Amino acid sequence: MTPIEAAFDWVEQSPLSMWVRGESMLAFPLILSAHTLGMGFLAGISAGIDLRLLGLANRVPLSALAKFYPVMWLALVVSFVSGTLLLIGYPYKAFTNPLFYLKLALIAAAVYLVVRIRRDVLLNPGSQAETILRNGRLLAMASLGCWIGVIAAGRFLAYTYTWLLVGMPNNF
Amino acid sequence: MFTEPEFPEPWELWIRATILHQFVQDNGAWLWPTLETLHFLGLSLLFATIGLFDLRVLGLGKAIPPGTLHRLIPIGIAGYAVNAVTGLVFFSGFPEQYFYNPAFWLKGTFMAIAGVNVAAFYLTRSFREVKMLPAGADAPFSAKLIAGTSLGAWTAVLICGRLLTFYRPPIFH
Repeated sequence: MTPIEAAFDWVEQSPLSMWVRGESMLAFPLILSAHTLGMGFLAGISAGIDLRLLGLANRVPLSALAKFYPVMWLALVVSFVSGTLLLIGYPYKAFTNPLFYLKLALIAAAVYLVVRIRRDVLLNPGSQAETILRNGRLLAMASLGCWIGVIAAGRFLAYTYTWLLVGMPNNF
Repeated sequence: MFTEPEFPEPWELWIRATILHQFVQDNGAWLWPTLETLHFLGLSLLFATIGLFDLRVLGLGKAIPPGTLHRLIPIGIAGYAVNAVTGLVFFSGFPEQYFYNPAFWLKGTFMAIAGVNVAAFYLTRSFREVKMLPAGADAPFSAKLIAGTSLGAWTAVLICGRLLTFYRPPIFH
């Protein structure tokens, strides 16, 4: 066992990791539910704001949409905490799958765009100017693309891993 | 009700004779995660709509007149349609996995509650009251009750959907 494998093995043998993977039918399903619920509200509300920027429901005042950001941040915290617990449950499974790194990179980009949209468009005092609205449309399209990528990567993670645990390959 | 019989019932045999069932069975490796991705994108669109509209009715972002946000409803309907179609394909592929699964029936129950709730919104004066609300105005209590029920019911639908995997019958025909 290499030192890196030993480190993953140590996490997998910890009580918290075993609780996440436990047969209780409680921890793992509930953590997954929280993760999906966080995704629904974060990607959902962000996509709703993107669609407004792309011209749908274009009488909705832009600055007022910033009021929905606390809900998105709460959803991000729920997704982050539940995601971290899933990672503690199956660290080797995630870190040996290249798709996991793509998902993390896309989440970082999506969250960056959520911040940029608030600062550069929603709360920009000149938000009626055509240059700002054009920038808003570009940011919105990039944001929608990132969320589609995050969700696709997240789903395919469950089908593309090569290791379940250290020393335990995936074979179906 | 949730116990799978030893031999498939006629309805299950009928589904298993369809081209759709065979197509899912033959292409599961790529088709299943693709359908799941679409199902999750659909639920995100549904949550885009309820997340913004219901929360506004409940009092968040009051500077938005709810009538202007109502233009997002077709997006929610589109998301629902994507999930109805992908859901039908899931069921066709592995009918017993859903039919003999308490999480599936609980999910259906919450979808029915959400459906009755939507009907209550559009068929009572709630819709007209909310649509006329100007910027900054508080929605009536009845509309808030409907918006809260909507958020709660769809959240429950999502959780039951996620629990399907853990309550499916152990034996497959």
